[in-house]
Amino acid sequence: MNDDTRLHDDELREVAQRLGARAAERLDVERTAQAVVTRLRTEPRADVRVLGWIQPVWLRIAALLVLAAGAGVIARSLLHKPPEATALAAPAGAELSELSADQLRQVLEAVGQAGGEHETVSSQDVSLDDLSAPQLRALLEALEG
Amino acid sequence: MTPAEPVAAIPTDAALIAAWRGGDEPAAAELVRRHARALARFLAGAGALAADVDDLVQETFIRAFRGLGRFRGQCQFRTWLMTIGGNVLKDAHRRSRRSRLVPLGDDLRATDGDPHERAVAGEAERRLAAGLERLPRMQREVFLLRAQQGLEYDDIAAALGTTPGAARVHYHHAVRRLKEHMQ
Repeated sequence: MNDDTRLHDDELREVAQRLGARAAERLDVERTAQAVVTRLRTEPRADVRVLGWIQPVWLRIAALLVLAAGAGVIARSLLHKPPEATALAAPAGAELSELSADQLRQVLEAVGQAGGEHETVSSQDVSLDDLSAPQLRALLEALEG
Repeated sequence: MTPAEPVAAIPTDAALIAAWRGGDEPAAAELVRRHARALARFLAGAGALAADVDDLVQETFIRAFRGLGRFRGQCQFRTWLMTIGGNVLKDAHRRSRRSRLVPLGDDLRATDGDPHERAVAGEAERRLAAGLERLPRMQREVFLLRAQQGLEYDDIAAALGTTPGAARVHYHHAVRRLKEHMQ
C-alpha cells in the first residue's frame, strides 16, 4: 500500500468518525438511561414464540438425529432379511448339546410345523381294537392274499 | 504535597452485567450511560434518521438486556450491542419502508469553523453516508465497527459470527467501494 492510498484511508476513517457525531451529541444520555430502566421494569417481555427459545443450531442437530435414526432403521431392515427355512436347520452332524438356545428353539419350531402339516398316525400306535369292522375285514382279506 | 486520594474502582462491563442480572437497575443505567453515544454514532452512520436515533438506542438496549443470556463474553459488550443495533435498525426500516439515506440536515451541517471547510466536510459526510447505504450490510457494519468505532478485527468477527480474516476482507471491499463512490 503506497502513501497516497494510506492517506486516503485515513481521510475516509476521519469522515467515518465524524459521521453521526452530532446525533450522538444531541442524545440525552441520562434521560435515555432512565427510560431504558423504566421500560425494563414496566414493559412485559415480547411474546415468546413456541420455539423461540430454541437456537437454530439445536433444531438442525435434532433434524440430523432424526434423519440418522431413519436411515439406521432402513439399513437395518435391508441388512437383516427374514431367516430362510434352511437356516433354521441345525448344522449337519451337530449334537443337540452343541446348539445354542436360539438354534434349539428354531429346530423345535421347525419340527412342530412339520408335525402340523403331516398328521400321520404310526402303525405302531394303532391296535386291532381301534379298527372298525370293515377295516378288520379288509385287513383279513389282505392277509389271505 | 497533597495526599493521594483513593481512586474509586470503575466497574467493568462484565461486573455491571452481572449486577444487572442480579436485579441491580443502576447497573443497567450505567451501561446505558457508558455506551449510548457510541451506539448513537453507529446507528446514525448505518443510516438511521436523526429523529429516530433516540428511540433506536433505547430499543437496542432493551433487546440487549433481555437477551443477555446469549452474551457469553465472546466479544466486547459494546461490539455486541452494535450488532443488536444493526438488527434493530433493519427491523425499523422494514417496518417504516422509509429511505435509509441520511438527509443533509443538522447531523451533517457543522456550525463551527470556516464555511468553505464546513461545506467540504459536510459534502464528504453526505457522500460517505450515501456510499454506506449502497454497501451490503456486512460490509457496512464491519466498516463502521472498524473505521468509526476503532474496534479490532477479532472483536468484530466474534460479534458478527465470522472470522477475523473474513472481517478484514469485508472491510477492504467496503473501503474500495466507498472510495469509488466518493471520488
